[in-house]
Amino acid sequence: MFWEGIYNGLLGVWTIARIVVPLMIVIEIAKANQWLDRVNRWLHPPFRVIGLSEHAAFPVLVAVIFGLTFGSGVILSNVREGKLSSKELRIIGTFIAICHAMIEDTLLFFVLGVPLWILIFPRLSVAIIASMIVHRFYLWRQEKATMIAN
Amino acid sequence: MVISREIIYRGLQKGLLSTWELAKILMPTVFIITLLRTSGGLESVASFFAPLMQYLGLPGEAAIIIFSGYFINLYAAIGGMVTLELATNEMLIIAVMLGFCHSLLLELAVSKKAGAPISYILPLRAGASILAGFVLGGLL
Repeated sequence: MFWEGIYNGLLGVWTIARIVVPLMIVIEIAKANQWLDRVNRWLHPPFRVIGLSEHAAFPVLVAVIFGLTFGSGVILSNVREGKLSSKELRIIGTFIAICHAMIEDTLLFFVLGVPLWILIFPRLSVAIIASMIVHRFYLWRQEKATMIAN
Repeated sequence: MVISREIIYRGLQKGLLSTWELAKILMPTVFIITLLRTSGGLESVASFFAPLMQYLGLPGEAAIIIFSGYFINLYAAIGGMVTLELATNEMLIIAVMLGFCHSLLLELAVSKKAGAPISYILPLRAGASILAGFVLGGLL
């Protein structure tokens, strides 16, 4: 029983370690070469659907690929520079709370035998829908405010 | 493209650090669950949660995995998943539920720091997770 516990534990650690270590090396290379800056340049148009500019799309991309903490770091530095509106902040927060670290989280369950699409599709689609609702809500509120003003 | 020894080293360091973090969480989780299972304690936990978990298409003992994932992190949940024998569709339901909602103690604090209040993020993530479990549990 004791050895069974140790064995299962080590097996679990090994299963994950062989994914996490190479992944972290690739992520460091990606960061050093600013791959995401380039990706963002051609990936930002679809973000307009959820009300995000090219500028606001970047922290989302960072969070989706590298994780919530990295994404939040980018958000904080942008907020300090006054580059994000409170509406954008809420949309970004909504998106990345649901959909982040999509490489690491996905691979963790993938090595246990869960198919890739079921790990990616639900999180991505719910994040898009929830952000779209927030975006629409802000538009609706704005519209109402201008109507009252007129 | 820039690839230097420094960058590789930094990645390796972070990877090993994550592995250590993982071992610290996963080993005790696996150990405790193995202990619970052989002592019969798991059965009482399982039968307690079984009526609730059936709505999610999961056995009662999966409650331990879901709670470990929600409150500790995914590594703890994976510790549970490698220890308990689960059917493929049960693994799938757990993976989707925990994808939406995990490491709450840490990540709610991170979200809050980035300007999203806990009173907003917690219901969003927990709601998505439970709803997903409910839908998948009904489908599978």
